[in-house]
Amino acid sequence: MSFKVIKPGFLATIQDYGRFTHGAHGLSQSGVMDEHAYGWANHLLENSPTDAVLEITFGGVELQALDDCAISVCGADLDFKVNNQTALSWHSVQIQKGDVLSWTLPKHGIRAYLAVKGGFDTEVLFDSRSVNLRENIGSKLKADEMLICDSSNIEFDHFIAPQYIPNYDKDIVLRLLPSYQYHQFSKAQRVLFFNQTYTISNANDRAGCRLNGVPIAIEKSKMISEGMSYGSVEIATDGLPIVLLKDAPTIGGYPKIGTVFSLDLAKLAQKQPHAKVRFELMDIHQAQKQRLKFNQFFGLD
Amino acid sequence: MHKIILAGEDSILIYFGSKIDSALPKNIANFANALKAEFSQLIIDLTPSYTSLLVHYDLSKVNYLTFSAEVQNLLTNFEFSNTTEDSNLIYIPVYYGFESGLDLERLLAEKNLNLDEFIKIHSDKEYLVYAIGFSPVFTFLGEVDIRIQAPRLATPRIKIPAGSVGIADSQTAVYPTDSSGGWNIIGRTVQDLSLKNPDNLNKFKTGDRVKFYSITREEFIEHGGQL
Repeated sequence: MSFKVIKPGFLATIQDYGRFTHGAHGLSQSGVMDEHAYGWANHLLENSPTDAVLEITFGGVELQALDDCAISVCGADLDFKVNNQTALSWHSVQIQKGDVLSWTLPKHGIRAYLAVKGGFDTEVLFDSRSVNLRENIGSKLKADEMLICDSSNIEFDHFIAPQYIPNYDKDIVLRLLPSYQYHQFSKAQRVLFFNQTYTISNANDRAGCRLNGVPIAIEKSKMISEGMSYGSVEIATDGLPIVLLKDAPTIGGYPKIGTVFSLDLAKLAQKQPHAKVRFELMDIHQAQKQRLKFNQFFGLD
Repeated sequence: MHKIILAGEDSILIYFGSKIDSALPKNIANFANALKAEFSQLIIDLTPSYTSLLVHYDLSKVNYLTFSAEVQNLLTNFEFSNTTEDSNLIYIPVYYGFESGLDLERLLAEKNLNLDEFIKIHSDKEYLVYAIGFSPVFTFLGEVDIRIQAPRLATPRIKIPAGSVGIADSQTAVYPTDSSGGWNIIGRTVQDLSLKNPDNLNKFKTGDRVKFYSITREEFIEHGGQL
């Protein structure tokens, strides 16, 4: 029937594929930060690819199963345990009534996804189950809260071959589409942007990831506000980039040097402050080809 | 004039002009409707703003080159009639007072106006909805009369109460929920514009018009207003 929340953790929220069709009302896309781990979490349970999961950031979460339930945990290694025994991630797991699931601290990556067979059955708010704290839509996990889902017993045993499990400790390159104001940045500004290694700052959350580095000289930093895509990279007044993520505002008035490819944003979602990132140009046709392949694999097409 | 640019792996941005113009919001809204009608299977979301429309499409069904060409084609043949049918006029009651309008006293001194004059200037005008965003239902209205325009505060306030009516340069807006912000606060409405009332999602759309009207402190309190 459900899970009872014993420890709510630092930041754990219900997320699904996202909240679409409300851009005109100022509602951001929301949804999971790591679409790759999310895709696998549902896939291993033969779920719909848009089912709602629990996104656990950093850990500190403890849940008790009130019934038998098939689950999978993908994404960051937050030291996932069942009844205090190290349990399998990237693997379908049958949980028994009374079992205690826990995630203590980030060992590799920062966001883990708990999927349950059939998805979490939380309230649908504006056509999505995704919680958005910035917009006061839903709330983060609270102690003693019940997370409702179907009870389930599975016969199958699905897992991912170890070579396909991402290594979140590797440095990442964010591939960038030359979108928005890319061509309005001068050659010198672009050279500075692409030839440096940025560091993820402490000011990063589900709305955006601020990067530290050598500032780009900006003459006119404000423009007429326009719709911002997931992954677009603002260059703020201080000349430093902000990568806009799932909970970002819908419109904004800083110039944008490009848009990061979504599957690289999934990798960024697992990075801690102080991690290093670089940018590299990507062609739209390559991006669409790779994303289409991803969508087809997970049944998102 | 019209221009389509790349916005992301599954989005394009259409510019309808290069500067803020009262004819644009309605044109953009009309074109957005035409796009939805023509490509209902391909479009995931549309985000209009002052001079542009962000189009999020389904890359599983159509690729960038094909889709941009189709949109370009529709743009070329579209008749921008700038009709105001389907544009609503929304009235919002405001208590303009020193308790609700945190910056009102300062603005009156700066602008050399008395309270009645200030209220008349702000509430006489029918404002156009230029854009919605920043946060849910936050509606950018223009244009504010030059006599009461004021730049954003140098230091934004940490908390502005829900319902506060603000001015930033030529724009005015209501804060739907408690939030931080740097606009000059001139009054407060009793109308709940937050998503606690889900109907508020569809309260405004770009191209609509908004008119404020002044209510007394007593009326404000009587309708549940809190100071």
